Amino acid sequence: MRDDDDCSDDHELTLEELDRDGALLEGIAGVYGNSRADLLRGAAVGGAALLVGLADPPLARAAAKTDVNILNFDLVFEYLQSSFYVGAVRDGTVAQMGPEKQRWARVLGRHELAHVAILKQVLGKGAVGKPFFNFRGVTENEAAFTRTAVAMEDLTVALLAGQAGRFKDRNLTAAVFSLLTTEARHAAWARRLAGFQPVARAVDEPKTLNEVGRVVQSTRFIAARRPRTGRRGKPRYTG
Amino acid sequence: MNFLLTLEYAQLALYEEAISADVLRGELRRFAGVARSHEAEHVKALRALLGADAEEKPTFRFTDATRTVARFNRSALTLEETAAAAYIGQAPNLTRDRVPRVAGIVAVEARHAAWIRAIVGRNPAPRAADPATTARQVARTLERNGFVKPS
Repeated sequence: MRDDDDCSDDHELTLEELDRDGALLEGIAGVYGNSRADLLRGAAVGGAALLVGLADPPLARAAAKTDVNILNFDLVFEYLQSSFYVGAVRDGTVAQMGPEKQRWARVLGRHELAHVAILKQVLGKGAVGKPFFNFRGVTENEAAFTRTAVAMEDLTVALLAGQAGRFKDRNLTAAVFSLLTTEARHAAWARRLAGFQPVARAVDEPKTLNEVGRVVQSTRFIAARRPRTGRRGKPRYTG
Repeated sequence: MNFLLTLEYAQLALYEEAISADVLRGELRRFAGVARSHEAEHVKALRALLGADAEEKPTFRFTDATRTVARFNRSALTLEETAAAAYIGQAPNLTRDRVPRVAGIVAVEARHAAWIRAIVGRNPAPRAADPATTARQVARTLERNGFVKPS
């Protein structure tokens, strides 16, 4: 078991980081077949080149409509999460937190960006665009940020647990499981830092898309248009 | 599914043994107590899913693994990580109706893994996507750690 505590923030995302133990390549083999995975495995590990190699996946053309819809819902959620952590870094909130919490917020931000990248690649042209977000000051305040992060991570676990079984393509179930366990780690880590029991129950409770949709709607974090009060001059962070 | 049940039995046995050996203190003890009750629930859930096919609990040999805090930490971390990866590996084989229940269990294994990693000062979430393992790899891990006799 390795200890990879690399937490630098501003470097380019590489496949090595996305896929330290080959989970992604295994997923690719499942979705696209072994020949493609082998091809990618042999490619220079530089991230960008490899992700380009994944472009135009057959999923967008051949996949069942429900699979695409579910993955797009998950993608919106990953956009939401990545924007949330990146926003807290941008607002200076993360820099003011203690070292362990800083590490936590930066690792989570990086992972959520990686999840956006993974889902966008899998969906190809079928991927939905990034909505506008308005976190209504939550990313500017450490206590509110932490509380919301706990709720968001627990909700993601419930979302992915609820959707994993609905895919027509069974390999997507495995791919979503490996995202689910990462989100569960995030949730446990967040809960511990916030002073909650990291594992509140013996089995996590799956939620339906409607249930999750209602919760997200109630936060009003997804804005119809670019928020006026936000930092409009700054470039939007794209996953 | 039966090898997932074996892993749950192994975890339950480890925590039971560590708690009765009484070497854990503070948050670590809390972790072991909470994890023990969760693994007991997982055993029950998997036995219910397997019905008459469910295998009985094998004999485990943890001996040293529960004698010192350091060895317990290593064993708990290994078993939790192994369990999470094993469930991911079995995901494509699950019947559709079983997935939500099993997803709720694998999420809890991952939470346990993150918690024990945090306690021992390691990155609780070291990867953006967790790896999967095969049943054979799991068997090898259990043997290599001396938790079960090689078959």
